Amino acid sequence: MRKYWEMAKSQIQLDTAYTAWYWARSASIIMRMLIIYAFWHAVYENRTTISDMPLDTMITYIVLATLLGNYVSGVGGQLANQVRDGSVAIELMRPYNLLDKLVALDLGSKISGTIRETFPLLLVAFLFLHINSPTSWLSLLLFIISALLGIFIGTQLDLIIGILAFWLHYVWGLRVLRDAILAFFSGVLVPITMFPSWLQMVSNFLPFQSMVYVPVAIYTGQIEGIAALQAIAIQLVWLVVIIVGIRLAWSFAIRKVTIFGG
Amino acid sequence: MRRYSKLYWQYFKARIKVMMEYRVDFLIGVMSVLFVQGTSILFIALVFHNVDTIHGWTFYQLLFIFAVAMLGRSLEHTFFDNLWTLGWQYIRPGNFDRLLVRPVNPLFQIIAERVQQDGVGSFLVGIIVLFTAIPHLELHWGIAEVMLLIVMIISSAAIFLAVNLFFATLSFWMVDSLPVMYAVQGMNDFARYPMQIYGKGVRFVLTWIIPYGFTAFYPAALFLDGSGFRSIGIWTPVVAIVTLSIALLFWKRGLRSFVSTGN
Amino acid sequence: MIEVKGLSKYYKLVEKKPGLSGAVQGLFARKYSIKKAVDDISFVIDQGEMVGYIGANGAGKSTTIKMLCGILTPSSGEITVSGIVPYKERKRNASNIGAVFGQRTQLFWDIAVRESYDLLKHIYEIPQHQYEKTMDLFTEVLDLGPLLGIPVRQLSLGQKMRCELAAAFLHSPSIVYLDEPTIGLDVAVKVKIRQFIKEMNRSMNTTVILTTHDMQDIEEICKRIIIIDEGKILYDGSIQSIKDRYGHKRIIHFEMEQEGEFTLPESLLGKAEFTAHEAGVVSLSFSNLIITAAEVISEMLRFYHIRDLTIADSRIESIVQDIYERGI
Repeated sequence: MRKYWEMAKSQIQLDTAYTAWYWARSASIIMRMLIIYAFWHAVYENRTTISDMPLDTMITYIVLATLLGNYVSGVGGQLANQVRDGSVAIELMRPYNLLDKLVALDLGSKISGTIRETFPLLLVAFLFLHINSPTSWLSLLLFIISALLGIFIGTQLDLIIGILAFWLHYVWGLRVLRDAILAFFSGVLVPITMFPSWLQMVSNFLPFQSMVYVPVAIYTGQIEGIAALQAIAIQLVWLVVIIVGIRLAWSFAIRKVTIFGG
Repeated sequence: MRRYSKLYWQYFKARIKVMMEYRVDFLIGVMSVLFVQGTSILFIALVFHNVDTIHGWTFYQLLFIFAVAMLGRSLEHTFFDNLWTLGWQYIRPGNFDRLLVRPVNPLFQIIAERVQQDGVGSFLVGIIVLFTAIPHLELHWGIAEVMLLIVMIISSAAIFLAVNLFFATLSFWMVDSLPVMYAVQGMNDFARYPMQIYGKGVRFVLTWIIPYGFTAFYPAALFLDGSGFRSIGIWTPVVAIVTLSIALLFWKRGLRSFVSTGN
Repeated sequence: MIEVKGLSKYYKLVEKKPGLSGAVQGLFARKYSIKKAVDDISFVIDQGEMVGYIGANGAGKSTTIKMLCGILTPSSGEITVSGIVPYKERKRNASNIGAVFGQRTQLFWDIAVRESYDLLKHIYEIPQHQYEKTMDLFTEVLDLGPLLGIPVRQLSLGQKMRCELAAAFLHSPSIVYLDEPTIGLDVAVKVKIRQFIKEMNRSMNTTVILTTHDMQDIEEICKRIIIIDEGKILYDGSIQSIKDRYGHKRIIHFEMEQEGEFTLPESLLGKAEFTAHEAGVVSLSFSNLIITAAEVISEMLRFYHIRDLTIADSRIESIVQDIYERGI
């Protein structure tokens, strides 16, 4: 465990070195928030609620979803690169589990991202976009638990990209595809409640809404009480299913390396 | 000019051969972009599922703006995508020197060395969106209007190119300007919505500083009655020529500085 | 013909301070230090010469080559290459030259090598009949036949370098710059590559400028070498004369039984020179016109316990090393 924590720490240090990317990312998130603010104000011009959500709730939802949406990606791309250039073979000889190592590095990135990006941006959102505080302390607590689960689900699921790289080698397209699916079905663009009912049904059977929609809806009060606990339980189930599934696929993929030599 | 078009064709053929090496990837690329663009349309559709107009703009009017943006962007994306890699693929590893020892313009070589197949996907979506929107807009389509639309789309592509080229050129001084390009590119999402919904500051920037407003909203508004932006929209080709000239001059300066300071 | 007169290239190095405050300070008041990468060098190279251009890392080799190629503007001085000033007319100069830059490939990574040559044919506007003739010749000399249909990414290092060389010579340039063409290759491939370079020089009278750390390359290919160090030319002349001049130099490395202070035995003072003392190894250099190796060794054995010794030979390799270390 300790070595993975050390890896995470090294990643935090590494991240602080890339200041150019830090400013670029922050700038583009602020721009996105500006668009969100202007766009939704225009949408609400002639009405007070959409899907039972007033404007301030909607903006709170979209801003939080945008910020949380930054966490659902992971290190699948990095794994894919290692698979492509063959360095995965060397990694496999090292005394650690490669998947866990990558997840640890990702955790490091996310910790430094939270401190350096998310908190300041959240402050900006509170001050200038006037987003709502959580409805109660309990909902804040549930939000944090649910958000963590969502992030874990996203991180694990992302590894699929890397595993697929054993068979496909133009991984960029796959990542774009993943981003699109995630943006839509995770609920980053609009709350799932705005979907037509048949699409909500579909979404209920997918793991994606567990990543962003569920935690943020708990924060804004769309999901409350027993429903919130239920939603968190479903998140847990997804997390377990995905972790097991990924490990199985991984051991299958590794066999391919050891048999064909990469 | 003739020589360069012939040469481009040679590069293009080579690129096609590379693509055919990786057919599955080609399909995934096109599909993924189809899907990405699809989601942004779906997003608008979902919003209009719940409201009738946004600041007086209808669903189909908005789709029309989207279509212009997508078509312009996809042209730029298909043919000029390699500019993104100037820093980390050419300047940092020293590959730029390799381009300079050939008797062909280096900017041309960078552009020609890659054709981004994914652009085909967004071009297709753009066409579909355009033809979905047009029947609902009560526009008169004569040859003049069609030609005008084509000019506007090409101008939109040229502005995208100019902005990208300008910020890619920074790589000559800072080795890799990718983060800057990325941040600037984020601004083009603004341009897909009616400019009236933004405050004065944002509108000023998108019109005068980084004229992304001319990649979608202004030229599209030219065709939409009563938008009140017709007189601005007509300037789109001029904006395209001016921004592209500025970007090319800046590129030349960057190249000169690169050649005198080395790397 | 290449003519270089009083050529210099200075780099301004910005002294960066760490952190954000340093970056902000840097915007206003910058401190520069000047690095003289190439410092007032002159030489003339005739058409058809094969010249080894050597120096330690950072000596100014690649800066010079870049200026000759026209991809770097000199700070001062003159260059003409076949009558062209390269940095003023880079593209015109480019059609006369070929270049191999170490490990960087100019071939398409993902498609068959043949396609890359086809593209180069168009880039350099090589007439079809000439292209076919050259390709036939290369296929024979470099044994490219079996490689032409394979994408570059699947070639071994040696195969890649053979293809790379062919690409550099494809348009029959009058000058070719080769930067480390044999680095990391096995002996058989090295031999083949050297043969090819010599053959091109013989049949097309191509001028070859070779930078390398492999002295074997130099000895087999070049008649003339230019040695550069810290931006200045240390030596410019034939390999034979440098051997005549320095060939009598010997260096003996003594592995001492005990580490510690070393003083030259009195009997060797003025005859041999103490050059280095690292990790228990003492190196003495001397001229075998003045004192024989046997005498040096026996003197050393009288005063010290020696575990082992090696005598460096007088091949060009050790001469050059000696020049790098101590100057001419």
